[in-house]
Amino acid sequence: MNILSGHISDILVNESLSMVSIRINEHIELKTILVETPETASYLKIENVVEVLFKETEVIISKEDTNSISIQNKIKAIIKKIKKGVLLSRLTLNSEIGDIIAIITTEALDELALTENQEIIAMIKVNEIMISR
Amino acid sequence: MIEAHIRKTLSTANGKMLLDIQLNIKKGQFVTLYGSSGAGKTSTLRILAGLLSADKGQIIIDKKVWLDTEKKINCTPQQRKIGYVFQDYALFPNMTVRKNLAFALEKGQDKLIIEELITIVELEELQHRKPETLSGGQQQRVALARALVRKPEILLLDEPLSALDIKMRSKLQDYILKVHRKYGLTTILVSHDVGEIIKMSDEIYCLEEGEISKKGDPSAIFTNDKLSGKFQFTGEVIAIKQEEVVYIVTVLIGNNVVKIIAQESEITDLGIGDKVIVASKAFNPVLLKIEK
Repeated sequence: MNILSGHISDILVNESLSMVSIRINEHIELKTILVETPETASYLKIENVVEVLFKETEVIISKEDTNSISIQNKIKAIIKKIKKGVLLSRLTLNSEIGDIIAIITTEALDELALTENQEIIAMIKVNEIMISR
Repeated sequence: MIEAHIRKTLSTANGKMLLDIQLNIKKGQFVTLYGSSGAGKTSTLRILAGLLSADKGQIIIDKKVWLDTEKKINCTPQQRKIGYVFQDYALFPNMTVRKNLAFALEKGQDKLIIEELITIVELEELQHRKPETLSGGQQQRVALARALVRKPEILLLDEPLSALDIKMRSKLQDYILKVHRKYGLTTILVSHDVGEIIKMSDEIYCLEEGEISKKGDPSAIFTNDKLSGKFQFTGEVIAIKQEEVVYIVTVLIGNNVVKIIAQESEITDLGIGDKVIVASKAFNPVLLKIEK
């Protein structure tokens, strides 16, 4: 599991759902949608420090920054290390908010011709991020 | 209401251990003692029942003093209104089910209770059989009924279901809950089964080396309300296997076996038999209706 730490910068609530923004550093803010509200979860408070959790298998890799995609969380990173398996490969990504691990298929790795030291964009859908206080 | 503070030095496999336990259990509550072997769970039950003496302490049940070592009060097990069910059923092999129950009657006690208990735990068909002809689950039902003959106020259950298979366990759990509610019992269960504990108990006391390390609401103790994932279960790790660049962890959740893809960092301090929380977001699972 990828774990980053940040503080809650924004909470949008509608009925039992909340869209929560977590500022990881001065440039990067990650968003998550939760079936919780500040009334049901005491940690949902602006400025509260929380951990942001997402699975390695939920990280999407793109070679270019694009606005024509519905994924809101995008982090610039450099591929530090590639561990190639038969079907799955493990990428260690170096970003300004720390290392992020991505598991993608080896087919995708080959099709995109990803190599170490290459600059990429790591993307995570808002509904794949959990938070923990 | 059970108010107890008991202290006793126990000799264990790892040397001497001080059991120092304080219990405050409301009347009618179902409480579980949870902890590893040798933490002092069974000794606590035995001291409550008067089968083991405490070095020091007090046991007060609804203002009646069962034990006060300072005032030298110590009721005998017979004077304490307790029903006790053990893991091994401890039935009399030479007596029928019915006679096993009748043997527990107090002098002059109304025999109607036997009929009532036979009906409640559904032993009508089995009442004239000897224990050896019954299954483990059936024998444990007899043991449960026998523990209730003297109309105890407190029911002590020392891992009564651990020798039974999952299906039989679930049935016995229902019988136990039924008698717990019907007779307004205050019940203390010793169990290792997280599913069983969450299903049955109002409160859990976690014991570690003779002391209470945690107490509270069972689902709060076993699940993680600090985590936003709404799809949470507790389970037990039954296998960990490395495949390619990931690990596949097999977890038993209730009667179901699930598999989870994990990373090395997640499994470094994880072993077979460990209890884990399996969490995902409410957005990820899909629902498929089971056709009738």
